[in-house]
Amino acid sequence: MDIPPANIDQTEPTGAEACAASGGSGIAVEVVLGAESRLLPEMLGEELWRAASAELVELSQAEFADALETIGARDNFGLDPGKQANERQREMFWRALHLEDLAIARGCALGRESAWRRFLAQYREPLTRAAMEMTGSAALGEELASALYSELFGLTEREGKRWSPLLRYSGRGSLMGWLRAILAQRRVNQFRKIGRETALGEIEPAARVPEQLELKQLEDLRMAIKMALSSASAEERFLLSAYYLDQHTLHEISRVLRVHEATVSRKLKRATEHLRKELLRTLRGRGLSRRAAEEALGTDPRDVDINLRKLLQKTEGDPISNQERQE
Amino acid sequence: MNWNFQLGIHPDADQLSVFVEGAATSLERERMLAHLAECEECRKAVFFMQPHEETQPATRTPVKGWIWGRLLPVGLPAAALACGLIALLVHIWPRDSALRTPQQVASLRTPEVLPKTKVAPSADSEMDQRSGAQKRSFAPASNLSNQENLSLRKSLNLPESSGQAAAKVAAPETTTANLSANAPVGHAGGSAGGVMGGISSQLPLNGRDVVNLQQLSTPANTQGAAAQNSLAKERSLPQLEIAKDSGQAEAFARVSGRITDRSGAGISGARVSLRDAGGKTRQAITGADGSFHVTELPAGRYQLIATASGFKTVQQSIQLNPSQLAMLQPVLDIGTASEQVTVEAGAEAVNTEDSALSQNVDARAIGGNGNGLPQSGYARVFGVNGDGRSVAYGKQFLALDSTGNLVLSHNGGKKWKKVRPQWTGKAVSIELTPAYSSEAPPNPKNESLGKASEAAVFLLTTDAGTVWASKDGAHWHQQ
Repeated sequence: MDIPPANIDQTEPTGAEACAASGGSGIAVEVVLGAESRLLPEMLGEELWRAASAELVELSQAEFADALETIGARDNFGLDPGKQANERQREMFWRALHLEDLAIARGCALGRESAWRRFLAQYREPLTRAAMEMTGSAALGEELASALYSELFGLTEREGKRWSPLLRYSGRGSLMGWLRAILAQRRVNQFRKIGRETALGEIEPAARVPEQLELKQLEDLRMAIKMALSSASAEERFLLSAYYLDQHTLHEISRVLRVHEATVSRKLKRATEHLRKELLRTLRGRGLSRRAAEEALGTDPRDVDINLRKLLQKTEGDPISNQERQE
Repeated sequence: MNWNFQLGIHPDADQLSVFVEGAATSLERERMLAHLAECEECRKAVFFMQPHEETQPATRTPVKGWIWGRLLPVGLPAAALACGLIALLVHIWPRDSALRTPQQVASLRTPEVLPKTKVAPSADSEMDQRSGAQKRSFAPASNLSNQENLSLRKSLNLPESSGQAAAKVAAPETTTANLSANAPVGHAGGSAGGVMGGISSQLPLNGRDVVNLQQLSTPANTQGAAAQNSLAKERSLPQLEIAKDSGQAEAFARVSGRITDRSGAGISGARVSLRDAGGKTRQAITGADGSFHVTELPAGRYQLIATASGFKTVQQSIQLNPSQLAMLQPVLDIGTASEQVTVEAGAEAVNTEDSALSQNVDARAIGGNGNGLPQSGYARVFGVNGDGRSVAYGKQFLALDSTGNLVLSHNGGKKWKKVRPQWTGKAVSIELTPAYSSEAPPNPKNESLGKASEAAVFLLTTDAGTVWASKDGAHWHQQ
């Protein structure tokens, strides 16, 4: 398999763009540092290069060191923005990477044949199986996996140069996890395209035009929800959205958050109560009596999700539509 | 860091995988959650990334320890077998234990119908006999299996025998009465015998000391010549049935009564001993109401000794004839000295052809006054119909005391009540209608007797010479 090397010599960092899930193609962000500004000690670089078995994927020590330096600079060595990593923190960051996966990904991105052989031997079957799981169909899974292969292979071009999404792999997570993420984004992208082609008959009928009074109450409620949601933590908002909007089960949420199901249930209950209290307080702050506020909200906290369903999705901008507008 | 979660900017696959795998920093995680909360498509991607949970194949848990591993195939059937055995034991145990209860054993007995021959009395006292209650033996009526030992338990296990046993348990007195009525050989009166049989059968169930109520059967013709070893033989139910069906049951005398103090209150727990001429003793303990019953007594002279704690001992000599029922009511005085009263009872022949009424100790002999019934003294004994002082018809006993009061018992003398005088003057004599004197009580199965029973039975003569008649002894009308 003779694969021309992908062009990674982009000296102009373009910043992050929408990933494949948003419909656009990812753009490799590579920071090529000069030799004088290298942060990776040569001995450590050699040690990590050996640990990654980079030689087996025809990756030179310099190429692997470049990859490590680039990733460290991009993620600030795992520190919060603005903080400067010391030598020890950098070393810990590099040692914590999935070095072998990183070597394979980088070798594939550079078009090394041995890297692709290892990649196919190691990930082809799991990738196809994961695609089948996501699509629920063998044919769709095969199709999804094949499309991803070609993309990973670097058949897509950007600004006249081959580009592989594998360049975006940082090694902080496993390569298989990264591949699943890519597959999931592509799968979501398929959903989005299918959603555009929904027949007119399947579109829900337009909601009844609310009365003037209802509009006023609805506006109050929308504002109250916006404020209540803004006061909730990110995790609480994620829980509310995943549970009430997406109708995921507690078990599914617990797997995403890597906590126990009971913990999810407890946190969700707490988030719901918090949201209800905040809504009531906000509504009363807007001049409604307690009774009127409860009527507007619904006495049952579980009714909140209905209001959330109607209103929450409109409280924030639609990223897809914005992305499309940008395009 | 390139965490550009502004509108329209989504995390890339690397950021998602870092978050999903838990490798993100707290700040990255917080930002990712904030984005996921508002971005439906990234939420979808995150949930898509979760690998499907494969159902774990049923792996066999290794058994800890080689011993348990090897014993497992044997242990399970063994456990099942043990459970089955326990269930079987639980199922069987109540029946088995029930058979051992003295009440059940006693109730199974039908002492009224006895084999004609070879029922041997024991030289020991009955108390000693009862120690082996279940081993009490009866010889079969005929020559059948005189040497045969069939235990009661074994016969109960037989289907046909168990049915018979159940019938006897249910209504022993009924069975006895019916069989007795048709018996060609007279015994102690069909009804009377049946009633007493029922009493003795039910007494154990009343919680009384059943040991003393059991009786030895010694036919008159074998009295004094009993084989001691025959007591060791067990009697099976089929054999008992044969004895009944043969109708050769022997009639025995019975003694029943009630021990009271001077106030008339029954003395419970008093010991009543009946000792025959040979020194053999039958004992009974009075019940809660002071009553006692001793049945299946061979005819002869007996010494009755009544003892109770805190009372004087009373001795009384009675003569019992076959098929007699002696109703005794000893009265114990408070004290410790013993008092002996000799009762000379004349032997009365019993008409065994017609199963006559209870002919007991001659009332005239008691106290020697001839009209002392019922006395407040030692005995209240009923004699032959026609003595003018007492009559008996079936279970109905009527008696006149010296003051002319008429007392009536409907249950064979067990309980008495005074009849309100409906006549003028003083009753001087009482008798049965001549046609019925010395006859068996009307048998419902006998139509001729049934018709006759409609006529007046009891006749009472007053000192004025008027005759009053009554059918039940309680309601009188002048003739």
